[in-house]
Amino acid sequence: MAEFNVRADEVNVEQIMHQIRARIREKRGVDYTEEQIQELAKIKLEKFLDPRGLRSDLLEQFQRAAAKDLPPTYEFDDQTLIRSGNPLVAFIRRLLQPVLKLFFSPNPLVQALHYQTQINRYLLERAARDVLVYEVMHNLVVEMTRTGIEVKNMTMRVESIAGRLDFNERRARALEAVVQYKPEGREEHGAPRGGRGFAAEGQGGRGFAAEGASRGDQAGRASGAEGQGGAPSPRGDQGPSAVDPVTGGESLRSRRRRRRRGRRSGPGFTGEGRETRDEGRGTGEGRRTGDEGPGENELEHRSRGDDQEHRPAEANGQREASAERASQADTPTEAPASEPDQS
Amino acid sequence: MKVAVVVQRYGADINGGAELHARYIAEHLARHTEVEVLTTCARDYVTWRNELPAGVEKIGGVTVRRFPVARARDVHDFGRRSTAVFTRTHSLSDELAWLESEGPTSHALVKHVASAADAYDWFVFFSYRYYHAFHGVRAAASRAVLVPTAERDAAIGLAIFPPIFRGVRALMFNSFEERAMIQHVAGAGDLPGVVVGVGSDIPARPEPDRFRQQSGITGPFAIYVGRIDENKGCKELFEYFRRYARTMPGGLQLVLVGTAILPVPADPRIRHLGFLSDTEKFDAMAAADVLIMPSYYESLSMVALEAWGMGKPVLANGRCDVLKGQCLRSNAGLYYESYAEFADALYSIASSASLSQGLGRNGRAYFERHYAWPVIERKYLDVFSQLSARGASAAPAVEPLPGFFARRARTVPAAEDVLGRVPAGAVRP
Repeated sequence: MAEFNVRADEVNVEQIMHQIRARIREKRGVDYTEEQIQELAKIKLEKFLDPRGLRSDLLEQFQRAAAKDLPPTYEFDDQTLIRSGNPLVAFIRRLLQPVLKLFFSPNPLVQALHYQTQINRYLLERAARDVLVYEVMHNLVVEMTRTGIEVKNMTMRVESIAGRLDFNERRARALEAVVQYKPEGREEHGAPRGGRGFAAEGQGGRGFAAEGASRGDQAGRASGAEGQGGAPSPRGDQGPSAVDPVTGGESLRSRRRRRRRGRRSGPGFTGEGRETRDEGRGTGEGRRTGDEGPGENELEHRSRGDDQEHRPAEANGQREASAERASQADTPTEAPASEPDQS
Repeated sequence: MKVAVVVQRYGADINGGAELHARYIAEHLARHTEVEVLTTCARDYVTWRNELPAGVEKIGGVTVRRFPVARARDVHDFGRRSTAVFTRTHSLSDELAWLESEGPTSHALVKHVASAADAYDWFVFFSYRYYHAFHGVRAAASRAVLVPTAERDAAIGLAIFPPIFRGVRALMFNSFEERAMIQHVAGAGDLPGVVVGVGSDIPARPEPDRFRQQSGITGPFAIYVGRIDENKGCKELFEYFRRYARTMPGGLQLVLVGTAILPVPADPRIRHLGFLSDTEKFDAMAAADVLIMPSYYESLSMVALEAWGMGKPVLANGRCDVLKGQCLRSNAGLYYESYAEFADALYSIASSASLSQGLGRNGRAYFERHYAWPVIERKYLDVFSQLSARGASAAPAVEPLPGFFARRARTVPAAEDVLGRVPAGAVRP
């Protein structure tokens, strides 16, 4: 959501509300107020009720039925004709009923009117039910409209996310392609420097403790030797992390480190001398290696997704080391992170 | 000059919108002229039972004369009659029966207005929809000034009221939206009257820290002040705020001040403090970041005005024309008509200090320009003096009720249909 920076004399509520609505529309595609939804629902209800033009006024009929007063009904039984508020009159009527039957038969009449009351009651109940049916139908259409809008918005959102995912995948592939160039460089500079680098890392900062551990005892010993300023260990050269488990060549990290060192070596600053000095201060090397982390992490988390954005560099380093360990069947896969320090 | 304020209920502890409005007006007019309040013995606006003693007493320095209510309201009867006149074609007689059923049916009060009309220069009737106002205006039309406090509900569509609107000497409207609505219903383009509203005694130095200490509330919060009722839009407020809180963890809390009729949801971000005294209420509002006004129907939101008076922004329900109009005219509040707007507007106010302060400053200026007590008092006194200058001869007569048979003719359209034809929307500045 956007920030507003305004001075009091500049606040224009109408404009701000316009901005807010524009932002919502942009975010959700379409934004409907409750009234608009109701309006849409009304239109749909008409279409829904009149799909083939059978009863174009059905909706109106429903609405009229809902609004108009229901007529009163009445009770009619066998006593209705002779009932009276005055008991004397009622008695006389009952007395004269046989005489009445001489003129015509009132029973079918009474029976018919009694059935009519039942029909009336049934019709009234149905009319009341029709109102409910209309309500239910109307509510259903309102909900359908709302759901339709939600579905539309969700579809747009899914499309947007799919587009972003596609873009991220393409970007990740492009970045991978960028860092895997110069295949001939592997033969020239590959293993020896890579081995040294990792040996130093093993002794260095915590960021690569797991890497040190992944190389097992060999790497540990190598790092110990180099930490004391010793020469590069041949065992270190054979460290599994120096070999990319996928390509079979040197690992991505080794290549990148080598490129960086290559850039640093300038006139009067030979690679060998620099390396010896670096290795002599093992911790410093570790720190430096740790500093490399974010570059790699950046590359990693871009391809992995945002959920890893805030993980520390060392965690990513450890994850990478674990992946390497898993690919090396002959090396121990579990080692305490503090092992290189202990060595 | 002697003015009678006629209102359905009155008391220091009666805090209904129109009743509080009437009390404030009576107390402030009493500083300039002699004021007497004519009211009923009822305290409860649902039943209108006689709970207070009839007779004369003094409240806040104002003489209050109470009259008994003839009968308490039968809620079921009132509901049935309301349905009949609001939703079906009916007769004027039905509407009069509805008015009787609504109450407060105080024949003694109306009789006093009629008999003692000459003892007062002006009667200020509050709330057009009640028995006392309808019959009181008819009893003393030449001295009647009406404060309609009309909301956009079906009662405004009843056919018995337009003659009242046309028959009084002046109308004191609460908002431009109310005036537009009543002019349309009354069928008179130019009713005599003025948009006034009501002021509020906002303390010069509220103490927000004291409120935070007493309530234990820390962090930013939005406040709602008023009856916690579905009719006031609180159900929707709870629903919206809980959704907002889920998407904005660690953000604003919602503090509710007022009596709860609707259950308050158990949510750690929602705090209900119950009824607070005026001092505590103002302290709470001073501590708040924003006031939320979720009501659909308001003739004038005094709480919103108080918030503006204290320099606080307001987030109002945009489906209430009056609130939306006030936000637009004051440039001091945002409004919402859907959850997305609620969330975005609330977030904008909470996250942007410049916006919040800008709205607050505009609100304070708007309050001082239109709703400061000297402004309100002056408007009332000007209306009285203008009417006095015109004399009683200029008084329009209230049209008499139709005859026996015409009154019973079922030709009056449903009030809801009439209301549906009343133009809606905020009146733009």
